[in-house]
Amino acid sequence: KKQMAHSTTQSPIEKATLYVLSSEAKLMYGMLFSIKSFVSKISPLDPKEGFLYYKTSKYTLHYLETPSGLKFVLNTDNVTQNARELLQQLYREVYLEYVVKNPLCQLNEPIQSELFKLKVDELFKKSPLFLSRSI
Amino acid sequence: MRQQIIDTKINLHASGEADECLFEYLHAEMVNYALSKSCKNKEGEEELSRLEWMGFSVGYRIIERLTREWNRFKDELDMIKFICTDFWSSLYHKQIDNLRTNHHGVYVLQDNSFRLLNKVGTNSNKQYLQETPRLLSFTCGLLRGSLANLGIISTVNAEISTLPSCKFHVQVQRI
Repeated sequence: KKQMAHSTTQSPIEKATLYVLSSEAKLMYGMLFSIKSFVSKISPLDPKEGFLYYKTSKYTLHYLETPSGLKFVLNTDNVTQNARELLQQLYREVYLEYVVKNPLCQLNEPIQSELFKLKVDELFKKSPLFLSRSI
Repeated sequence: MRQQIIDTKINLHASGEADECLFEYLHAEMVNYALSKSCKNKEGEEELSRLEWMGFSVGYRIIERLTREWNRFKDELDMIKFICTDFWSSLYHKQIDNLRTNHHGVYVLQDNSFRLLNKVGTNSNKQYLQETPRLLSFTCGLLRGSLANLGIISTVNAEISTLPSCKFHVQVQRI
């Protein structure tokens, strides 16, 4: 079963955004922040992309951070491949199109757009990751 | 003559993503700016006449550029048809989907997927319906301005019932 946590945080407005996030989202953000700095410090080589995903016995968490500081997080089961590509696609085809290009969406607050939700849903339901599991 | 217009149109299309979103972002900021400058009037409606005036000036100029290869138009309907096809597709990358007229100076131009609205919502949700008039008043002015430069004095209103489709009502003023 797929779950999706979607947080958009950018440095100048991080405080404002964190204020309205639920406590679970705050914990998630804190954990990801720690993992990110942990990975960049412990890596013996210069990390190009940094933290990509982690895996537990039950699930895998995939992480995508854009150069603008936007973070996309997806939890899947452990056999899923290419979740990162799906996150890229989510950013490119849904977030950019229906949030950035929607003049009525403010970028420093939680996304309210119904159309955005619809398109996220569509993208995930037509993705091969989703289909292969639901059989 | 006609062929050349189509050629420049194709070039406009081919020039890619950047020019498209530049206009969209600039338009969004113009709307924000116009709203920040105006206070609400008595009925609590937003004051959008400044935005409409910007559209008018742009439309008045744009028509010079778009009609430079054209002969004079036969009549009013001919001009409106030009607006629905060439004008609309060079600005919004598609043609008007439906044109109605009562042959007495009222024209209704319907666009089923208006470019400035199709990232905002679909017909399945009523969200943002309140805010959409501010995304249309520039285009109303644009229509009014371009018709004015073609010699038609008019008033233009917009109507939205379901996103992202909208209707522009053009009422020609007879003198």
